[in-house]
Amino acid sequence: MIVKDWCSYCGECAGICPKNIIEVKEYSLVFDEKECSRCEICVKACPLNALEME
Amino acid sequence: MIETDVLVIGAGPAGSSAAKHAAKGGAKVILIDKKSEIGSPKRCAEGISNNGLENLGITPNPKYIAKKIDGCRLVSPSGTDVWLTTEEIELPETGYTLERKVFDKFMAMDAAREGAEIKIKTLAKSLKKEGDSVILTCEHMGESFEIKAKIIIAADGPESHVSRWAGLKNVTKAKNMESGIQFEMCGVEFERENIIEFYFGSCAPGGYAWIFPKDDDIANVGLAVIAEDTDKSAYEHLKEFVANCPATQNAQAVELNVGGDPVGGLVKDLYGDNILVCGDAAGQVNPLTGGGIISGMNGGMYAGQVAARSIEEGDYSSKFLKEYEEIVDKELGKEMHKYLKVKEYALSLPDDELDSIADAFQDMDFEKISTTEIVKNLVKVSPKALLKLGKLI
Repeated sequence: MIVKDWCSYCGECAGICPKNIIEVKEYSLVFDEKECSRCEICVKACPLNALEME
Repeated sequence: MIETDVLVIGAGPAGSSAAKHAAKGGAKVILIDKKSEIGSPKRCAEGISNNGLENLGITPNPKYIAKKIDGCRLVSPSGTDVWLTTEEIELPETGYTLERKVFDKFMAMDAAREGAEIKIKTLAKSLKKEGDSVILTCEHMGESFEIKAKIIIAADGPESHVSRWAGLKNVTKAKNMESGIQFEMCGVEFERENIIEFYFGSCAPGGYAWIFPKDDDIANVGLAVIAEDTDKSAYEHLKEFVANCPATQNAQAVELNVGGDPVGGLVKDLYGDNILVCGDAAGQVNPLTGGGIISGMNGGMYAGQVAARSIEEGDYSSKFLKEYEEIVDKELGKEMHKYLKVKEYALSLPDDELDSIADAFQDMDFEKISTTEIVKNLVKVSPKALLKLGKLI
């Protein structure tokens, strides 16, 4: 997952991730890429369009 | 290893309320939050009803009150507006806007003064069960450590990792998560002072737009959308709204806020062995308005009280903690179910129907300002609303 530098770390993506694999730190997002099913629900929900699937 | 009776994860209003009441009940409490500054950045429009804090036993402090609110204005897609203010009616249910960055810290301080230990910049990483306790692995500035607790209270907001780590079936579907976005702006031109404004229709598909005043020309201007209902991002919707709304055309943004708001009602599992869930993590949010400060703090209070009793009794089983669900269902659940039905109906209305309802509302007499009162009058003017909502009122 590409996290754009305008991400505000609000955590909405983590909340709707069906696999609960997005860790939201204060100033970074960590995806467990191995577990990601590439459903892109997080990409769609981001209020700032800050996520892009690689 | 650090050991405690109750470990609260998340120092928003719900978590701080839980920590305060668990400590008040005699439990040893640790409250952790991943941020450097509790309450910042805000993820909220900051509106709150008048009696909400008093009912929680909190005397509002002027240091976190931004502005007193005397009523609201509902604006339909064509611009027809309905004013529900002290000028129109006699017995308003009023409120105020908060300064969340101050408010959240004050709530955490209340918890600390009751005896809770606070650890900031401490991130929850994972959870495991061990005997009759749970162990949370945390991270603080690169250092990993464990906290062993008899009960954890998950107040980790819309992310809601913790309850899912505990195996509770709490998944927020995309259709129930509002994508919220907001500018704090100056130079906002209000038609009347001290009024919160709501804008409905295609400006915010799946949600609504709002203007909540915080000072003479300062306001939170935001909206929430359901991502599935629109091809544009929440940010694009906000830019359009601000450019088109007469009140904000000349306003300047000084802050951008974003965040998810779970509006699908209470989560399925509010408790389990050694765990209680409260606040946004538990879906303790009014599904119609998206407001969740007071409901989350009430949920937190019930969770803290039940946790303290559980510590006193030495029983941390889900069987004992079930009492929490019973209290939440009684105190919050019934109302939330009603608002969920109203929301489903409201979101089914196209722009022209919203306009005709606004037209009909112009001649209505409202007795007070509340969501229930608005729904009561909605049923009077719309046969479809009567059909769908009549039995709720």
